[in-house]
Amino acid sequence: MSAPRTITLDVARKMIDAMIRYARDNRVLPGSFAVVDEGGHVIAAERRDNGLPATFDIAIDKAWTAATMKTSARVLEVITRGQGWRLNVKYGGRLTIIPGSVPVVSGNKVIGGIGHSGGSAEEDEAIAQAGLSAFYREDHIDFTGEDMLRSLRRIADAAISHVIEKKLRPVAITIVDEWGGWPVLIYRMDGGGPYGYIEASRDRAWTAAAFRVPSDAVVNEVGINYGVGWNERLTVTAGGVPFRLQAQCSQWVLPVIGLRMIRK
Amino acid sequence: MALLGVSVARELSQYNVSIAVIDRHNDVGLESTTTNHNLVCQGGDSLTFRPGTLHAELNVKSIPLWPKLADELGFPLRRIGGLWLIRDKADFRRYLRLYSRAFKSSLEPNAPYYIPEGSFQPPLEFVDRKRLLDMEPYITPSALGALHDPNLCITDPVKVAKALAENARANGVEFLLNQEVVRIERQGITYSIYTRQGLVIKSTFVVNAAGIEVDRIAEMVGARNFSIVPLKGTLTDFDEEVGRLISHEVHVLPRIEDMPHVKAVLPNIYGLARSGIYLELTYRSDRVVREEAVNHNIKVAKELFPEIPFEKHVVKSFIGFMAYTNADTGWHDFVVDIPDYVPNWVNIVLGPAGVSASPMLGKKVVELLMQSGLRLEPKRGGFDPRARRGGVQS
Ligand SMILES: Cc1cc2nc3c(=O)[nH]c(=O)nc-3n(C[C@H](O)[C@H](O)[C@H](O)COP(=O)(O)OP(=O)(O)OC[C@H]3O[C@@H](n4cnc5c(N)ncnc54)[C@H](O)[C@@H]3O)c2cc1C
Repeated sequence: MSAPRTITLDVARKMIDAMIRYARDNRVLPGSFAVVDEGGHVIAAERRDNGLPATFDIAIDKAWTAATMKTSARVLEVITRGQGWRLNVKYGGRLTIIPGSVPVVSGNKVIGGIGHSGGSAEEDEAIAQAGLSAFYREDHIDFTGEDMLRSLRRIADAAISHVIEKKLRPVAITIVDEWGGWPVLIYRMDGGGPYGYIEASRDRAWTAAAFRVPSDAVVNEVGINYGVGWNERLTVTAGGVPFRLQAQCSQWVLPVIGLRMIRK
Repeated sequence: MALLGVSVARELSQYNVSIAVIDRHNDVGLESTTTNHNLVCQGGDSLTFRPGTLHAELNVKSIPLWPKLADELGFPLRRIGGLWLIRDKADFRRYLRLYSRAFKSSLEPNAPYYIPEGSFQPPLEFVDRKRLLDMEPYITPSALGALHDPNLCITDPVKVAKALAENARANGVEFLLNQEVVRIERQGITYSIYTRQGLVIKSTFVVNAAGIEVDRIAEMVGARNFSIVPLKGTLTDFDEEVGRLISHEVHVLPRIEDMPHVKAVLPNIYGLARSGIYLELTYRSDRVVREEAVNHNIKVAKELFPEIPFEKHVVKSFIGFMAYTNADTGWHDFVVDIPDYVPNWVNIVLGPAGVSASPMLGKKVVELLMQSGLRLEPKRGGFDPRARRGGVQS
């Protein structure tokens, strides 16, 4: 069997598992991982337990850079002779010419990108390369630890199973932490769900985390005047649900799940 | 292990340590060692490797070791020379840059391209079409001339691996063949290596030279501090009738539309001609010889030698895997390294040009092991570089 020509959610998660394993084996500080499609849109992104919140979007931006520039940051650094940051004027800071940004090539075509943020430039690069290596592995590389992330994965998996069982349209799922509504996990299900769902689910998760009520109850709780203009993430339609994890994790986070789903 | 593993074992057999070589096959050299181009980069090729990399260093430092090794162990090493065809000004300019590196390198020992004294004997030279035709009468009319590297050699890497293994065995190395490593445990600095066949081998040092499986073996003890992707190469062999008509390694620089494949044809030690390499990144279990790959190899051969009916003389096509690092940049490099968090463990990833770099590899590993605290002293009974003890095969 030859290697896949596209990145599914399962493949992206397999790549992240391998990156987590690599990061743990090489004692890299906890950070975030992102795998995006060829348009630079997230398929899966995750943050390790105790990973800095800001690493999440940096990882996504690195993956976006690799996919849309169709090359790795290391090469961009060389071909722009260290002046790559100038390109950022065009992209409002999104273009990230810091190592840890690796394209996924299959069948001579760039089909996506991988980003890691949280370590040194060299570590970020090595971890993103571990993701690429996993794309070309038939077996699954598992890791130990990361209890919080594992618990949150189970919740996301339950949501995915629900969607499949009820034959709903594919969704995007975001789980955020309670401190700043910073994402810990984003998954986009296969099957052609528009990439707009990613930001929609993220906004709902943020809204539910910020107000600690379901996103569609925010208006009842705090009144409509909080609406538009106050924060562009605020979304008062249904799909953002606050929840509390049991036992050992409860004091750490009040994660929120944000779904964007439409019935068939 | 195969060529790389036995090179290291042979080098270590000069010292006062007890060594076992473990391999899942019943003989050495049955994987990448047997499915490659057979080239020994003796000069010009080495100039194409990125300066400052281990890839360049081990290859360049191996150049003077090859003739000595061939003499000690009696394996075939034939200087066929390489012809890098010039089709236009762009080709010429690129070769001119390489050529000047060769010239500079022999003057400045500390230059990144340093080639040991005497390696370019005779030196690289440009040849015009007339000389090119004298050297390769069937060459394509589109070649205006060539950069001639008279030093390029071919060998039979399996014979090299066997000779090294037999010499290592004569110097006390034990071979545990038909033993597939499935699990490794580490307690402090003692490794317990478990094989599918039920053997448990205890060791205080491990050298991991498992070829395309190097990452999986390293993961068994959390010692993977590198990443590889499997680069599959398909090669095609043609019979002696064709082999007789080609005497050099002939290649053209790939153009954008040819990427990522290599366009080269060369004779082998046994008089056949070999063409390739059709390259693809894929799963390592993907061992199918694709029709597209074979057609590519025939097309390459015909592009270089249009008058030779290669398609009627195909003997076989086969695939091999190279462990390729830095696939995202294309800047492959070797890994010969002890991971920061796993003591007494050496990972070896050579991949492309691994055969050529193998003589220096053993010395590099010895250096690393000594740095990591292993006290290596020359063996009391002495080391015999020529002795052979057969029966490596189980
Ligand atoms: C198409 C192609 C062309 C090439 N051309 C050239 C060239 O012209 N010149 C050049 O210098 N190099 C070339 N190379 C590279 C060269 O072939 C390799 O670098 C070299 O053969 C690697 O040797 P090795 O000992 O690492 O690998 P291998 O020969 O693959 O040996 C690895 C060994 O590890 C053993 N092993 C793996 N897993 C286990 C396990 N779990 N338990 C026990 N044993 C295990 C295997 O049985 C095998 O014997 C080429 C490679 C390819 C694929």
